[in-house]
Amino acid sequence: MNKSIIFLALFILTVSCDRIDGPGPVDPVVSLVSANGIFILNEGNFGWGNGSLTYYSYDSARIYNNLFETVNRRPLGDVPYSMFFHGNYIYIVVNNSEKIEVINNKSLESVTTITGLISPRNLVLAGQDKAYVTSMYSDSVRIIDLKKNKVSGYINIHQTSESAVVINQKAFIANWLEGNEVFIIDTTTDLLIDSVEVGKEPESMVVDNKGLVWVLCNGGWKRDTFAELVGINPQSHVIARRHVFPALESSPLCLQADGDGDTLFYIENGIRCMRTDAAELPADPLIGDDDHLFYKIGINPVNGDIVATDAADYKQNGVLLIYNRRGNLKNSYATGIIPGCLSFMVESGHIME
Amino acid sequence: MKINILCAFILVALPLQSQQDTVKISEIIIRSKQIPSDIPGFKRIEIDSAIQDKYRHLSFSELLSECTPVFIKSYGYGGAATSSFRGAGASHTRMTWNGININSPMLGQSDFSLITPGISDNITLSYGGASIIDGPGGFGGTINLENKPVWSKTSGLYLNTGAGSFGRYAGSLKFRTGNESFQTVTRLYMNSSENNFPYINEVAGNDHVRETRKNSQLTQISFLQELYYRKASGVLSALIWYNSTSRNLPGSMLVVQSGPDEKQYDESLRSFLGYDLKKGNMNFFLNGAWMASRLDYTSLKASIDSRNLANTFTLNGGFETMIKNHSKIKLTISDELSFIKSNNYNKNISYNSSSLTLSARSKINNRVGTTFLIREIIDGQILLIPDFSAGFEYRLFAGEEHFFKTGLTRNSRIPSLNDRYWYPGGNSNLKNEYAWQYEAGFKTSRSFTNSLSADAEITFYTNLIRDMIQWKPGEFAYWTAENIGKVNSSGIESIVSVKYETDPLNIRLNAGYSYTKSVSRNQADEPGQLMYIPENQANSSIHISYGDLYLFWITDFTGKRYITADNTGYLPDYFLNNIIIGLKPDLWKKISADINFRTENLFNKSYQTIAYHPQPGRAYFISLSVRILK
Repeated sequence: MNKSIIFLALFILTVSCDRIDGPGPVDPVVSLVSANGIFILNEGNFGWGNGSLTYYSYDSARIYNNLFETVNRRPLGDVPYSMFFHGNYIYIVVNNSEKIEVINNKSLESVTTITGLISPRNLVLAGQDKAYVTSMYSDSVRIIDLKKNKVSGYINIHQTSESAVVINQKAFIANWLEGNEVFIIDTTTDLLIDSVEVGKEPESMVVDNKGLVWVLCNGGWKRDTFAELVGINPQSHVIARRHVFPALESSPLCLQADGDGDTLFYIENGIRCMRTDAAELPADPLIGDDDHLFYKIGINPVNGDIVATDAADYKQNGVLLIYNRRGNLKNSYATGIIPGCLSFMVESGHIME
Repeated sequence: MKINILCAFILVALPLQSQQDTVKISEIIIRSKQIPSDIPGFKRIEIDSAIQDKYRHLSFSELLSECTPVFIKSYGYGGAATSSFRGAGASHTRMTWNGININSPMLGQSDFSLITPGISDNITLSYGGASIIDGPGGFGGTINLENKPVWSKTSGLYLNTGAGSFGRYAGSLKFRTGNESFQTVTRLYMNSSENNFPYINEVAGNDHVRETRKNSQLTQISFLQELYYRKASGVLSALIWYNSTSRNLPGSMLVVQSGPDEKQYDESLRSFLGYDLKKGNMNFFLNGAWMASRLDYTSLKASIDSRNLANTFTLNGGFETMIKNHSKIKLTISDELSFIKSNNYNKNISYNSSSLTLSARSKINNRVGTTFLIREIIDGQILLIPDFSAGFEYRLFAGEEHFFKTGLTRNSRIPSLNDRYWYPGGNSNLKNEYAWQYEAGFKTSRSFTNSLSADAEITFYTNLIRDMIQWKPGEFAYWTAENIGKVNSSGIESIVSVKYETDPLNIRLNAGYSYTKSVSRNQADEPGQLMYIPENQANSSIHISYGDLYLFWITDFTGKRYITADNTGYLPDYFLNNIIIGLKPDLWKKISADINFRTENLFNKSYQTIAYHPQPGRAYFISLSVRILK
């Protein structure tokens, strides 16, 4: 009898399975996208498809994660990398899913999906209803018709491309991966008209209030050349300013400008800032890294907040850090995995704390 | 009570004395006196030969995932497949072939999709602490593929061919001949699959779209030649195993696939030469292996052209001696030397590790069994802290098959060569990982009648893995390997098997359930279950044969697996059912056939083992085997 009980107990243990309920529902989307906030694209892990969209509301001082999936009931995709506002739409470039998700800027509902892209990276407005998309693995820049939300053509630049800015009907396109050139495209004709040789691996670009195109070249991951920060005159296409970083180990990234366009910010062992007319690179960071792994930064164009993302260990959820213009931490919030691109939707006149 | 045991012993022993095979007699007598476990205190099982036979031409990953508690993370049929054993990582499963470590020296792990189960005669799973007997590093366990000769004058030719859904074709040949002093066995397996299958894509766009999974073609060839020579009390073994697998790797469902992008070619040549000599109470052994393995991976989109070639030489030697019929002492010296040529390293690498192992096993009376092991490893030039293992097993009631067992182990794992030399990010200063492992269990078996018998086993275990190697973001734009991980795994495993054997009806039921809790103990990490390790897993199989007819039904349950560190995202649990119906008629004298029809994923369950990589729905496979003996 006792042995039978032992067998019965073992059998029950063998065939029984403990079911555990899944996580509870995410906060519903109820008018959370206000006129003052920050969209954050969480890139997720390459190949894992766990990228997501986060929104931080200045009005409610709350953060809302995983919004695209909550609204549209499907994942955003693999490595959402950059975003762009145009009219009533938000365009989200999803790099490894090779698509652009077009969503309504209030409801966040999907409007359409643009496909036919090769490893898209950044989107820049290049005309009334036209945008250019750079590509990490193809030798051309795709043209997007923003009325039809379709690919309407391409411009062969014979190299891969990364960051892009447009000024005076010229698009400046950086050849990042092992490159050292910035290509210039006439946005009225969609023709490649010139190129400028810069430092190795131009990673990010901004335009300052004097119209100078600033290019941050990180020197390449092999660390065999010095990083550089150069300013290109958009009329003459010559390099008007050049700052060379003092150590081979310096690997700056994510160049940003403030709302006035007279101060530059970038990540290098913390967050550094410099006036555009400064003679030298800053010796010390404005914000030390304090064990943070700063991944991307953005500057609030209205109140000057320095907003940074911390990618933690690239596996767990990251953190959004909001500093005031003097570099004092105001607040921090948990985001999705590898929080990257920051896009501000802010209006002047609002109180933003 | 003692008189009863003596009577039972005499009843068992006397009839056997009239048999001609004296070796078998002595084995049975020993079992009736001593506890039966090979490794007292620990758990080692053999995969049921009937199950192994049904997976002979399939991949090893399917066999493990459907019939064992080892969780297999697979990209789909033919795609890369890695394991999690007792909640540990893929590199903590040690894969051996006749005792020789065949984990890739670069990756430190095995891709189970590259191995055909039919290549071996016997498959054993050594759980947790039991794995240290075979070598270091198997914190989760060790899986051994064994080839062994059958010393008879009978020759046999086994042919198999099959075809199935999604353009799958398989064929195999096995030929065995020889006599009582020489045996040769030749095996050849071929496998190809177009692997295009339909699935519903619910994630790529706003509409659910019926798509066809493409770009996962597979071609696989395996060849094994075995030669055995026996003279007096010595056996010489020579084996050579060639394997090549060429495949396209499909991307995620989230990526629009325009054509084949990622391709992988794996090729390996493994040779083994061994000599075993029995002299009185001493067994001497000396074996060596040379293994060359190539892994080429290309991705057009990512401009990756990765070329890797590893050559590994392994040498094992030692002796085992019996003391007073109840104890064995074994001394083993091992050396493993690897040469790596890879365009992912900035120079060619050679690396050597060696070890000295002393183990003892004792079964002092019919109630107690003990195991003890101590091992010293030299990792390159560094002497590691010695590993050890101690096991204890006790028969609870004299003359009955109820056993309590417990074991404690300290095990070390040397970093993989990618961890040390990958460029950039490899860290040549890495220390070894180590684990403290404790387990305790209860095992019982009982014959209810001459026809009906049952076995059951339940085990509790806990593993504390320390200095675990993890790749973390470095100061610059690449990741580096560091000894920063701390993982605690614990769980319960239970197995029940029931046999009912009469003529012509035979029924065999196997069922297993495992609960695994595996968490990171790093302060900065989320406290939840580690990603891709299911807490609950169960499998069962029933094999019913009536004369020439048979039915084999396998059910496999895989619990929820988290895909984010904070446990907010997960893949849902699933049940899979496979059913095989077959007929094994004797065609003519010594010619027999086996024709069977296999239905996989019987209820057409939609599931994924890796997020956004769909698995096929219902699939069919028909197979015909012919066996000719002479």
